[in-house]
Amino acid sequence: MKIDASKPLEYSTEENSNKIFGFWVFLGAEIPLFATLFTVYFVMVNRFASGPSGSELFEIGPVLMETFLLLSSSFTIGLAVHAMRLGYKKATMVFMAITLLMGLAFVGIEIDEFFTYVHEGATLQTSGFLSSLFVLLGTHGLHVSFGFLWGVGIMIQLWRRGITPATANKTFIFSLFWHFLDVVWIFIFSFVYLKGLM
Amino acid sequence: MMKQLFPIRHVMGYLASLVLSAAALIVIYGDLSSSANMVVLLVTALIQASLQLFVFMHIGESADSKKELYLNIAYAMFVALVTIFGTLFIFVWGWYA
Repeated sequence: MKIDASKPLEYSTEENSNKIFGFWVFLGAEIPLFATLFTVYFVMVNRFASGPSGSELFEIGPVLMETFLLLSSSFTIGLAVHAMRLGYKKATMVFMAITLLMGLAFVGIEIDEFFTYVHEGATLQTSGFLSSLFVLLGTHGLHVSFGFLWGVGIMIQLWRRGITPATANKTFIFSLFWHFLDVVWIFIFSFVYLKGLM
Repeated sequence: MMKQLFPIRHVMGYLASLVLSAAALIVIYGDLSSSANMVVLLVTALIQASLQLFVFMHIGESADSKKELYLNIAYAMFVALVTIFGTLFIFVWGWYA
């Protein structure tokens, strides 16, 4: 393993650089995935059959909370990577723990939102609008939930092994994933919720 | 130490994203036309997405494969835009509907 000391630890070997590049390629496939889900939603958004429309269903309060949590967690994972580059293991782990807790709170609010919808009679089967809404939000929420478990795994490794070329690489790649989820959420916030409430 | 852990670039990026999210709320609390609202949403969302990409994800950072990386993400966005707007053109904006 050849370590290039002029680069940050997470890029320091050829394998590490390749893994980061490979993850960007994966994100390049996630973009069309979410684009198709948004497409279905935009086509279906006015087909609410006998169910509620977006403006009847959405509540701005929980949505703002979700947005605040995800924006803040994207900030803290950025700080975690920054602290990692400075070599502060403890600060890295604290920032990462805050990130994951905010991610968990986000998923909690989203699950509560889904329960509320279903109680109001707005289920996956009610209308084309609701099917596409649940699939779009659910796919994003599933990514956040998976990210939470992945992040916990990485924190365990950081705690046991410290900041090494391998753990730094994993932490950095995780941060890319987390920021990407925030980007997807920005579009959900704008073009699903705000547009629905317009 | 605290100053070291909170780099100004990240803090400014975070504040900007909060301000942009709040600014987008004008579409529900303000009194703009619906096309002006769509412009507000597009502009605030695109700036926020770029903030994430450039400030937090450091997209321009990897020296070895920078060109390939930009190309890959640009192509993914191209496919995304063609999928979304091509479908809207056919099914929603009147070609077929």
